[in-house]
Parts: sequence; structure tokens; C-alpha cells
Amino acid sequence: MSEDELNPVIHTPARLRIMVTLATLHDGDDLSFTGLQDLTGMTPGNLITHLRKLEDAGYVSTHKNGSGVTARTSVTLTHGGRDALDQYTTVLQELLDSARHARPQTTT
Amino acid sequence: MNGVLEGVDMNDSAGTGESTDMDPAAAAAIISEAGGRARDTFQPRRRVTFTIWGVLYIFGYGVIWLLTRGQHPFRGPMPATFAAISLIAVFAALATVEQARSETGLRGLSAIRRRGFELSVLVGYGAMFTLEGALARAGASRPVLDVFGAATPIMVIGLLYLARSVTLPDWPVAALGLWLVIVAALSGYAGAQAVWGIDAIAVGPAFLLVAALQPRRHRS
Repeated sequence: MSEDELNPVIHTPARLRIMVTLATLHDGDDLSFTGLQDLTGMTPGNLITHLRKLEDAGYVSTHKNGSGVTARTSVTLTHGGRDALDQYTTVLQELLDSARHARPQTTT
Repeated sequence: MNGVLEGVDMNDSAGTGESTDMDPAAAAAIISEAGGRARDTFQPRRRVTFTIWGVLYIFGYGVIWLLTRGQHPFRGPMPATFAAISLIAVFAALATVEQARSETGLRGLSAIRRRGFELSVLVGYGAMFTLEGALARAGASRPVLDVFGAATPIMVIGLLYLARSVTLPDWPVAALGLWLVIVAALSGYAGAQAVWGIDAIAVGPAFLLVAALQPRRHRS
């Protein structure tokens, strides 16, 4: 098993952070764009860029409520996104386990 | 893509500073850190809520008990004043918690369920005070009204906590709800004056105990 098997859409620090943050929401909940920005510590432009990539992959969905100055964008993880993150963490865990087992034993 | 993110100013995203060179250990660290931060933010601020309830009961009921202790003949607190102060205090407590929650940006079913619970508390209290008025109109004595007025708010909140927490399940809160119902049902036997003191001592510290049992937030 190699790192190439990790989903490249998720396997970047920013998008992984976004996915993990959204995965903590319960079904039926969503998070405001500004709330997601606060939690990830990203600039609005960076966050939009990464959300677009995740949305293109079908992992997140965004909704705009209201119009004008009161408009509010909310973000949520799709079922496909949750499955993809589960699969990513499974592969990641296997990589970590194999690396741990491959590490040479030290003797005293 | 539904287009929500289209047409947004991207001036500060020319370089995302994105590194794709991330080893598995670094990814695991991000999962742990980001997940922990989000869970801390989204978890209900129940430590604050229970502390507010505990302080309200200790001081509110305690003050009434001190003011009415030794009254001959017993007059008790003014029912309308007590009802107004109680509703204002409960509304202020719920509004404080709601304001703190709204700042996280979390919306959806969880928020609807929470508001439904808060609305149930206010409806329960409103109905209780209305019923107390009906009892007074029917000729109930001041001691009877005091026992009713002291015990039923605790009964209302106890039943709501019990009903909500057994379905989650959340056993510390379920135990608190059960304890509140028991206290509400039995404390009135102590009489119209003592009921305030007993409820202050039995209910307030119970809320503070459950508040202390709630997990600490790692990030404000």
C-alpha cells in the first residue's frame, strides 16, 4: 500500500481540514461560510478555491440563503463526501499501521 | 455545482499556499486537531446552561425562602411578581445560551431541536403560571399556591430533561431530570415556607453537579 492510494482530492491539508470539520456535523446540519472560515483559519479566497474543488468532486454542497447584504452561504458534507472521508481515513490508518510495523525494532 | 461559489472575488486566492506534500502522520495530526476543534465548538454549552440554572434556583428560591421564613400569617411571595421574574430569568438564560450558539455558524436540525426544547420550557412555564392563576381564582389558599408555584417549575424542567435525555441517551442529564421530578413531587410535603428552602438546596446544587460532570471545552 502506498500514499498514492489516498484520495488526492482530500489529501491536502486545507481540504482535509474542511472535510474533517464538516464531518463533525450531524445529519441535517450545515455550517455558515464564516463559521467554516473561523474553524479552518483560511482566507475567504482560499476557502472558496478548496470548496469549489470539493464541490466539483461531489463531496460538499453549498447553499445560498437570502439575497443582497443578508445573503448567507452555508456548507455541508454530502453522503458521498462522508463515504470518501471514511475511505480516506481507512487507507490512512492502514498506511500508519504498516509504517509502524515496518519500523525496525530497537534493542537495548 | 450549484453555482453559489461562482463569481466570487478570488483576488486573494491566486496562491492558496497549498502543499500537496503531506505524509500520513501529518494527515492524522490534522484529522485529530481539526476534528477536536470542531467538536469543541459544536458541542452544546451545557456546562454554562446547567450552571445558570443552578445559580437561578439557589439564589431565586433561597431569597424567597429567606423573605417568607417566619411569616405569620403566611403571605408568601406575590404570585404575579414571582411569575414575571421567573419568566424573565428563564428567558434571559435561554437567550444567553442561544446567542453563544448562534456565533458558531451551525444551522439545521440540531438548532431546530434545541429551539424546540427552549420553546417547550417557556410554554411549560407559561402554562404553569396560568394554571396557578386559575387555582387562585378558584379559591386556593396562599400556602397551596406557594407549594404549587415552587414545585411545578421544577417538575416542568425535570420532565423535559428526562424525556429528551433518555432518547439520546444522556444518563447524567436523565438522572438530573428524574431527581428534579422526585424533588418537585415530594418537597411540597414540607409546607409552603420550607418548600422554597428545600428546593433551593436540592435543585440548585444538582444542576451545578451535572454542570461539573460536563466535558470541558478546549477552545472558547
